[in-house]
Amino acid sequence: MNETRDIDDTQTGDEGGLDPREAASLLEQTRRQAERRFDIRSPWLSLLGAAVVLAAFGAVWLSVRGQHPYTGPTAAGLAFMYLVLVAWIAVVVTVTRRATAGVSGRSIRQQRAYGAAVLTALVAVSVLQAVLKNDGVSHAIVYGIYPPTAQLIVLGSIGAAIAASREDWLGFSAGIAVVLIAAASAFAGPAGVWLSNGVGLCAVVLGYSAAQAWLRHRDARRT
Amino acid sequence: MLDALDPLIHVPARLQIMATLAALPDGDALSFTRLQDMIGLTPGNLITHLRKLEDAGYLSTEKTGNGPASRTSVALTHQGRAALDAYTRTLRGLLNGL
Repeated sequence: MNETRDIDDTQTGDEGGLDPREAASLLEQTRRQAERRFDIRSPWLSLLGAAVVLAAFGAVWLSVRGQHPYTGPTAAGLAFMYLVLVAWIAVVVTVTRRATAGVSGRSIRQQRAYGAAVLTALVAVSVLQAVLKNDGVSHAIVYGIYPPTAQLIVLGSIGAAIAASREDWLGFSAGIAVVLIAAASAFAGPAGVWLSNGVGLCAVVLGYSAAQAWLRHRDARRT
Repeated sequence: MLDALDPLIHVPARLQIMATLAALPDGDALSFTRLQDMIGLTPGNLITHLRKLEDAGYLSTEKTGNGPASRTSVALTHQGRAALDAYTRTLRGLLNGL
């Protein structure tokens, strides 16, 4: 413990004087504060996430709706989507770094491994997209139905698997809901798939956030 | 009545240390500086309390690196987690009896 500056046994609070009610209150208060500071999930982050999803997918949908024949998202639509998503990722990374500052061990190693798995899967999805384009598959599939559907199925599946490993059944349900919405949205066609996925994903994020807030409130009332 | 409560934990600062570390997933550790920031003790006081808890086997400390870049991490042991659970159960029992 190289950070030592002084050791003063007279100020360590060993004198006691804590009655059971005070101890229970201090224990609960400290536990809640610590959990809140270690947790990257927050209502405002979820609201921002829902808005980002709606804006990103909505921008692409606006750029492809009414296209006959379907040629795919415009450069402006894609640029806006990537800009919003990159800004969102930057916010999430900042919040995560702040929450996990000073934390080391198993959960951090797991987070890195999960991140590597997600990145590999998303790269594989893009490689497959290039293969489809190279094999002459129509623009409606390569630039319409395939990208949002495949990416959300991958992200939802990995999210559900991670949540299941933690016995986080709310997160598991949200992951499965994303997979189902992505699969069902494929029926909306190459333009409608963007809107359907955007609205569906936004609803899942808001529903997940509301359910999480309700569970926290219920747990707080129980203790 | 209070004799039933673990005297090593039943001190405000050590109760806060144990509760903070217990909020981490099993197998995770917290840096000394972050723990100090979260609890608000002086480094000297924190070290004194950590030593008492470490001597009892409730937590483990690990130092990595040398010189200014060195870092001390603190983690709750299985014994420490069990002791906090037992303390919490005893506390609930006492409060229900009041």
